[in-house]
Amino acid sequence: MSNGPLAGVRVFDLTMWMVGPWCSVQLGALGAEVVHIEQPDVDWSTLGAGVPPLINGTSVGYIAWNMNKRGLSLGMKSPEDRTVAYELLKTSDVFLINMTPGVADRLGVGYDIVSEINPQIVYCAITGWGESGPMALLPGADTPAQYVTGFATGTGVPDGDDEINRHFTQMDATSGNYAAQAILMGLLARKRTGKGQRIHVSMLRAGSALQSVRIGEYLGSGHQPQRLGSGSQNTAPDRAYVCADGELLGLSVTSEDQWRGFCEVIGQPELASDPRFAVNADRVDNREELDGLLEPVLAGMVRDYWLMHLNRAGVPVGYPMTWAELRHHAQVLENDYIVPVETAAWGQVWTGGPPWQLSETPARMFSPPMPGEHSQQILADLQQQRAAAEQPAAARES
Amino acid sequence: MGGPLEGLRVVELAEGVAGPYCAQELSDAGADVIKVEKPGGDRTRGWGSRKRGDVGVAFLSANRGKRGIALDPDSEAGVELLRKLIAGADIVITDAGWSAAAALQYDSLGELNPQLVYCRFSEYGKGGPWADQPPYGELVAQLAGDGTGSLGAIGEPPVRMATDIAGMYAAIYAVMSICAAVYARDESGGQRIDVSLFGSILVMRSTLWVALSNPDEWWGFHLDSYIKPPDTGYHCKDGAIYFSLARTGPEQREQLYRELGMDWVEGDPLFELVKIDTGGGGGRYSHLARPVWERALANFTVDEAIEITRRYGGWAYPKNDYEALVAEAQARHVGVIEAVEQPGVGTLRQVAPPWDFEGTPAAIQGPAPQLGEHNAAVLAEAGYSEAEIARLREDGVLAS
Repeated sequence: MSNGPLAGVRVFDLTMWMVGPWCSVQLGALGAEVVHIEQPDVDWSTLGAGVPPLINGTSVGYIAWNMNKRGLSLGMKSPEDRTVAYELLKTSDVFLINMTPGVADRLGVGYDIVSEINPQIVYCAITGWGESGPMALLPGADTPAQYVTGFATGTGVPDGDDEINRHFTQMDATSGNYAAQAILMGLLARKRTGKGQRIHVSMLRAGSALQSVRIGEYLGSGHQPQRLGSGSQNTAPDRAYVCADGELLGLSVTSEDQWRGFCEVIGQPELASDPRFAVNADRVDNREELDGLLEPVLAGMVRDYWLMHLNRAGVPVGYPMTWAELRHHAQVLENDYIVPVETAAWGQVWTGGPPWQLSETPARMFSPPMPGEHSQQILADLQQQRAAAEQPAAARES
Repeated sequence: MGGPLEGLRVVELAEGVAGPYCAQELSDAGADVIKVEKPGGDRTRGWGSRKRGDVGVAFLSANRGKRGIALDPDSEAGVELLRKLIAGADIVITDAGWSAAAALQYDSLGELNPQLVYCRFSEYGKGGPWADQPPYGELVAQLAGDGTGSLGAIGEPPVRMATDIAGMYAAIYAVMSICAAVYARDESGGQRIDVSLFGSILVMRSTLWVALSNPDEWWGFHLDSYIKPPDTGYHCKDGAIYFSLARTGPEQREQLYRELGMDWVEGDPLFELVKIDTGGGGGRYSHLARPVWERALANFTVDEAIEITRRYGGWAYPKNDYEALVAEAQARHVGVIEAVEQPGVGTLRQVAPPWDFEGTPAAIQGPAPQLGEHNAAVLAEAGYSEAEIARLREDGVLAS
């Protein structure tokens, strides 16, 4: 039994690929009891959208996106299996699906049916583009969502082209996270109203919401974000600079206090009152001139010098880290940001520990199930429930 | 009708993107949010050159639907006032740069209000050697967590995501954990939550960490991001598209070659790569095959290229900038953008909340507050008399 904040919450997880499965990973980390449904006779290499590489023949997509769940094999097109699904739904708190609009109805788990079985259920559907409209039936996935929502806008080097984030999964994970928020909000509303409800989240709106501030700036000013390399759209100096040892220093001056502290550290306190750079808006407008002054200064000392002195002056500084550094870094390990998870089928795998730390109801991460791994146990529990439900009637008859 | 979080009271002691966007999401979902600013105001009010009137649009886009008060959090009377507000609140959102006053830290506030859910943002996390690093470093968190693996050319300095993803990811995770903690409150009481920008970037890359756990074979994760130049889409006559032929058969591809006028392709030295490249940046050699595709696509508009690719079973989508996103028929149909009346600024369009709740609809609750706009109203609610409010103003505890 979990001690997480969602202990006792049961999730019926009819999801595949990433966006839905990632959503229920989060609910599982928070302590919910997630039953992940897989079709019988699955192909291990193509689970999790077949995303390479494989570990012991299983796509890393499946492993990464199904932590913190139990596995049940159900063919939703078979009448017997559908009966089992309906029985499970009676005692579930959350129903989650990520399929093209119309598929839930065809599988017999549209909201009208599910809410009749269980009016208190929080029913969440995730789609790519929305439930109606010209794109509703087109496939939704991370890359298309990046392209359509303008996620590359303003990302890239000044003389290049807008870059897509090649670490594809960000839009899937973002949409899954917004759906997890909505489910949690639905559970909170249920405490107040006593009723379940239907919720829908699309990748189109979730991916746009992730860019709320930048799109808001565009809508408010007509200004498309510019490609500034590592530079910020809004603050300066706020980019990566090359130091004397050739290493990169990431530096973010975002307030006037930090700017004064920075000017002290570089030994040019008079810069802080220079009218060209007096406040952030001036520094952004005169960015090139400012960089012309700062580049040689920052190239004059090694990175460790700047890290030490700027940190002491309250200026945010940092540097790029690789997997080789991250996986052993005290900051990562002491906060459980990347954690090892023991699995029977894939050995020890590393994954992101949740980024939140809850003081009273901590999160947990555990191995994904093999598809259908817990079928017998879950069906036996159902059998027991059935028997318990029938017992009083039987007692009356005798 | 109210949103799903109707009845919850939030006090926001934060600035920048992460804390304010987190509180804005709670407001969109129906919570009553009081934003507290220091006398100088949230620094995003003065951000950049993108302003309407004299207010940074970034501020207006992360602070809608809140009431605002402005006070000196280091004055005794200011601290007392905040503690009065927090005593009656459900949720406090704060960040590492806001106030160091001991009476505003969790140990003291949790005693004052045992049911309080207190969420604190930091750069790098609650523990560890970097716990006390200066706050508000979006770039610092992006660099540390995202490294050079997914943006920029291999061997060149890393490029940052133009969207503030570290702050936004952290805000999204904070909303999740806050809702979960409120859900558990009846059993476990209030609690402290810590969320960091760095940790949020790292968890968003979980698939990569799993991929690096002793894989059967390794040449870069998923779409080979470690070994390829930046992916910028496939250029057509008037813009770029994403396309993928992963789900098409050989016959459909033959037809597609013909339709795109690629009769020269068999003589092209890269044809062998084109045959195994499914487009979309997906194949190991797609960056090498790209010029071949682009030679053909240069003769077609984005709309034509998308229509043709879809006709032969492929995936195709436009590479939109924000102007194109806002104009996109589907985006208009599902209501990606909504208008807010912002006093002193006029009608302002913003990104709508991303959830559809059929029972308890979420909605933008109103404009962003002016600095100290609701000082009198919020203090009166907290039991302060008009004379007391005037006194606090004279003493400089209240700003504006």
